[in-house]
Amino acid sequence: MLSRVESRLTMLAAAQNGDGGWGYFPGKPSWLEPTVYALLALSEPSDSPALARGRRLVRSWELPGGGWRACAAVNEAHWATSLAVTLHSVLGIYDSSFERGVAWLTASTGAEGRPLTRLAHWLRPATVEFDPTVSGWPWQAGTSSWIEPTAHALLALRCAAARGEQAAVAGRIATGERMLLERRCRDGGWNYGNRRVLGADLPSYPETTALALMGLNGHPSIQWGDALNHVERMWRETRSPLARAWLASCLLQYRGERPGLPDAARSPDTDDILVAAVEVIAWDRILPGLNLPGSNLPGSNLPGSNLPGSNRRGSVGP
Amino acid sequence: MMARRGFLQTALGAAASGTVACQQPSLGPGPRGRAAVAILRAASYGEDLLDRLQRGAAACGLDARGKRVLLKPNLVEFVPGAPIHTEAALLAAAVELFERLGAREITIGEGPGHRRDAWYLAEAAGYRAAIPRFEARFVDLNRDDVARVAGFADTGGIYLPRTALAADLVVSVARMKTHHWAGATLSMKNLFGVVPGALYGWPKNHLHQVGIGRSAAELYRIFPRSFAIVDGIVGMEGNGPIQGHARPCGVVVMGADLAAVDATCCRIMGIDPEKIEYLRLASSLGHVRDERIEQRGEAIAQVRTPFALMPEFQYVRLA
Repeated sequence: MLSRVESRLTMLAAAQNGDGGWGYFPGKPSWLEPTVYALLALSEPSDSPALARGRRLVRSWELPGGGWRACAAVNEAHWATSLAVTLHSVLGIYDSSFERGVAWLTASTGAEGRPLTRLAHWLRPATVEFDPTVSGWPWQAGTSSWIEPTAHALLALRCAAARGEQAAVAGRIATGERMLLERRCRDGGWNYGNRRVLGADLPSYPETTALALMGLNGHPSIQWGDALNHVERMWRETRSPLARAWLASCLLQYRGERPGLPDAARSPDTDDILVAAVEVIAWDRILPGLNLPGSNLPGSNLPGSNLPGSNRRGSVGP
Repeated sequence: MMARRGFLQTALGAAASGTVACQQPSLGPGPRGRAAVAILRAASYGEDLLDRLQRGAAACGLDARGKRVLLKPNLVEFVPGAPIHTEAALLAAAVELFERLGAREITIGEGPGHRRDAWYLAEAAGYRAAIPRFEARFVDLNRDDVARVAGFADTGGIYLPRTALAADLVVSVARMKTHHWAGATLSMKNLFGVVPGALYGWPKNHLHQVGIGRSAAELYRIFPRSFAIVDGIVGMEGNGPIQGHARPCGVVVMGADLAAVDATCCRIMGIDPEKIEYLRLASSLGHVRDERIEQRGEAIAQVRTPFALMPEFQYVRLA
């Protein structure tokens, strides 16, 4: 009988499209987001034909400006460029595509910093309570910063910085962290974007809470024991397989293992590529684990700073 | 110093608000003829909702025979006990209605605006339990295949899910709610849920950047083959569409002209539809003026239930 991880990996391998990518569901056209997640899940062994086909598709979707398109039908740079950059780091491919991707991410910023937006916020500060001077990353160029794309961009830039930090990257990471910290909800987690609108506190969501904490990567201003206990509570309570997968990934990053559930309580088998991939990606090996305050993490098994594949620097692009 | 800054903020803020309230887009004449809108009483979700929908469909002359129908509920988010989403009982009745009307294919599609796990939301909202063959019918529109549609306000175009674009009839099965940015959210604003989050994110901030009113009107223009069923059995008032309070209203409102349906809902809610920006912007596509809407079933006056409004929207209160 296959283990849960083996079952997920088998399902992912079987769902690869002829073009080398993955759709959000088996049999659907390939998109960048599920393709990168599937490749991260299947990144070992690194010489598999499936990985090579996926890398070829990802490489073909790079745009001249440094971003990656979302899918064949969309010829615009997409937020999942963050994921493509992370994939390069995981595979140890620090080529010109990687450099352009990092530059694209470093230059990308939310629209809340624009003068007119800041004026509007100054006039009506209680409409949406946030600090417009600290900008994260948007889902789409020209729009405001939100939690999930900011978390993904931080993960990507942190992986990139692990091989030699540049001042621009470090500055952008610091600003993105401040944005996440500033948008934390009163209940200790993160909503999809804001903490307080029109005088009302917003509730946190499990998936964005997990992603924000992963993006903050052991930031010293977080009481990590409390935060991870909160994550574990959310993990036990949520019925969303995707939220549970991200919460477990967060616990894996900081505690070195995913929480376990009796088989009867587990999510049923899924054909959702995102859920299947996020459930089995080895986030503890992917994330470099910089700045982790180990003494602050109860029961932690801190991830090491080695990137898988880091001995393959200089290999050809995906 | 702080007092001066506060005065400046208050004065300029008030001026900006006044400008917004006064500089509404002009109200269009609407298309030719009149629009039929049916108002059906339903005191609770335990009543025979299929009967209500059948009567409403007949009153509006709804013809779905042989059509590929997309039912688009409002499932922007789920909070237990909160009247945020279209109730499962009404959505299930809508599926049965279109089966009886002879629709060739009935798909349920939604792209939730705040949470990514649409299947979980559908489960939590009771859709899986209430609707036969739900798994085979449901499409997560946030992650569907997309095609570009030229022209969307002044942005050049927008990508939309192929499931929605291929439908012969898009049925907006919305919930009657006030909205803290738009004044009200009804069948037209519910079309935001067809915009794919995989491209535009959670939330679909692009639509806010374009303008909520403009985006709602543009989506209505893109989906002219549409029909509206608004769940006003229990609506939401105050800080909608998520954090407001339940407001029992005891009606279902139906019609083929989404602007006319929403205008009727507004009048039931005690809101002047001619002061709602998205309805003014859509007023060349559908009917907003009272005299151009033929009410069938109950009269508005018999079911009027004023909804509480946020302070910022007191100016839309129907005189």
